[in-house]
Amino acid sequence: MSISLAVQATGLVKRFGDRNVVDGVDVAVPMGAIYGVLGPNGAGKTTTLRMLLGIIEPDAGSRSLLGYTHPRDASDQVGYLPEERGLYPGMKAVEAIAFLGALRGLDWREGRKRARVLLEDAGLGHAADQKIRKLSKGMAQLVQLLGSVVHQPELLVLDEPFSGLDPVNQERLEKLILVQRDRGATILFSTHVMAHAERLCDRLTIIAGGKARFEGTVDDARSTLPMKAHYVPHHPDPGIRALLPSDAESDGGGGWRFTLPTDGIEGTLVKLIDAGYGISGLSIERPGLHDAFVRIVGPQALEDDK
Amino acid sequence: MSNGRPGNFRRLVRQTMTVARRDFIATVFTPTFLLFLLAPLIMVAFGAVGGMGAATMAGSSAEKTRIVALVTPTDGAALTAADKELRDMFRRREGPPVLDIVAPAADPAAQARALFQAKDRNPTAVLYGPLDRPTIVHARVSVRHADYLARLAEGVLRDRAGGPQRLSVATKTAIDPVRTGTSARGENQAAFFTVFGLFILTLMLAGQAVGTMAEERSNKVIEILAAAVPLESVFLGKLIGMFGVAILFVAFWGTIVVNVGQLLPPTFARAFADVGPATGAAFPLLFFAYFTMAYLLLGAVFLGIGAQASTPREIQMLSLPITIFQVAMFGLSQVAASQPDTTLARIAEIFPFSSPFAMAARAANKPELWPHVLALGWQLLWVAATIWIGARLFRRGVLQSGSPKFRLWGKRDTAPARG
Repeated sequence: MSISLAVQATGLVKRFGDRNVVDGVDVAVPMGAIYGVLGPNGAGKTTTLRMLLGIIEPDAGSRSLLGYTHPRDASDQVGYLPEERGLYPGMKAVEAIAFLGALRGLDWREGRKRARVLLEDAGLGHAADQKIRKLSKGMAQLVQLLGSVVHQPELLVLDEPFSGLDPVNQERLEKLILVQRDRGATILFSTHVMAHAERLCDRLTIIAGGKARFEGTVDDARSTLPMKAHYVPHHPDPGIRALLPSDAESDGGGGWRFTLPTDGIEGTLVKLIDAGYGISGLSIERPGLHDAFVRIVGPQALEDDK
Repeated sequence: MSNGRPGNFRRLVRQTMTVARRDFIATVFTPTFLLFLLAPLIMVAFGAVGGMGAATMAGSSAEKTRIVALVTPTDGAALTAADKELRDMFRRREGPPVLDIVAPAADPAAQARALFQAKDRNPTAVLYGPLDRPTIVHARVSVRHADYLARLAEGVLRDRAGGPQRLSVATKTAIDPVRTGTSARGENQAAFFTVFGLFILTLMLAGQAVGTMAEERSNKVIEILAAAVPLESVFLGKLIGMFGVAILFVAFWGTIVVNVGQLLPPTFARAFADVGPATGAAFPLLFFAYFTMAYLLLGAVFLGIGAQASTPREIQMLSLPITIFQVAMFGLSQVAASQPDTTLARIAEIFPFSSPFAMAARAANKPELWPHVLALGWQLLWVAATIWIGARLFRRGVLQSGSPKFRLWGKRDTAPARG
């Protein structure tokens, strides 16, 4: 039976003490998509992922993973990279990957064979027979990631996969995620770094204070904010202010920034030209995911994040 | 979609064995395992060195120990002859100290007391005076030696009264009694050895389980395991892995003990001829089954408690109550072994954590086999329950919070959420 959603959760609630850490979160991850769970620290991302995977049980709500109502039943088709990385330091890299595969039902011998190929492809072929304790933190993190994909899972769940990686390894990881997507896997990952989400995500949900504040595509998120215009007059003059929308602010260099009027910018431009100020520069700027995130989450949540 | 239940059990077994295999290999293929394996040898070596030291000290002290008779040469010769005849009844090491004959001085009472201060010998009893009314002074703890001297004097006087010739001649024929089965006393002894053996094995081996979750806690592998495998499988897998290590240990030393046993003189085997279990040939199988249950039951308790500890210090602190718990189970089962039909024995057989020991003792004491089927089922149920409770406590106490705390009975779910 074909299913359209790899992960579906409705009204997930988790209470720690008297605090609702996750408070009625809905998640719907389409098959084959790269899906981001965004939110500041302490928003409830990890707890949500843990509930989706069946590591902990929700206090309320329901979830299904690859069509299974008991997430454990899908465990052999799932790969997981937790936020807190951990491998047995005494294991060789190739054995560590094979062990992670074996936990998900992959034959040990096949796991070792695949591990060598994966390590080679990731540029870590030389470290295949090195013990984990001898590897750098970034290398160990990549080994763990390879361990989470060695059994070729249908669903890959990555909790803050980019944290602790240098830019080179971050790029490697992005490529690896795209390779997995191209293989047909669904990828669900959490992050609070907008750049990665902006580049990778087909859809995303933004969580803050345990509640889902937004669900949609990156473009949908950016559309929650109006576009901004940046106008530089040919003949600067303080009188220009009166012809611009009320939220216009000087950029300090003779130019002005203001929200694009809902009926378009043409009317404003006609008035400016007729008044003789001219147009030396004009750009219409779409807001980034970062701006949308700040608006959706609210400044207070970001303060807490810091 | 269906939940694929039929394959669940197979998957559970596979996951459990994956964890067990990792733990077994990680434990056995290390240099420290060699130390662990040879620990009894080290223990025996230290014991032997200590024993030799103690024996040397005792030997040198025994060499100087004497019983003394302050008598005339004639009486002295008679006492020496009587001593030779009586001494033949004792094994060499069990006999009274060597008899010294010393000529009496003018004041034998003072001479006798002065002898206790002598540096060249160490008298425990000194006889002086006529043999029909001898006076014997002795160290308070050496009353037997004083009795021996009195018996020698009496023997000399009887010989003088009736003549030295023997009045009877005994015929001694050595035989090797052959029993067709074990005696009740032998079964009781077998029960004692069984409980003691089980206790020593679990004391040495099951206690290790307490620290096994610490590795996953410290290197943070636990979340990977918990995501891929049910915690119950993680716990059981770890127990089985450590049990594999225990079996390796037992097999290694079992082989050595059996081979050394074959080198022992036949008299040794004859001494234990009537010692044996009432269940006969089924006993080794039952012993192994109860060893397995004792290991799994106590190991599951220790694993569950140890999993709550987050630092090596906490684990160290747990070792004392764990040892006390084991000794308590041993004590309870010893009572069951020595008094097989009492209420206390029934309690020991039913209480899950003493049951393997007490039932192993029962296997030595009673021939019926059916109670063992019941007991093994009952114990298996408790293994499952203990693992389930341990996993549940771990899930609540550790996985739901960011920073693990030792919290068995405290408030739960109060730690902040992550991410």
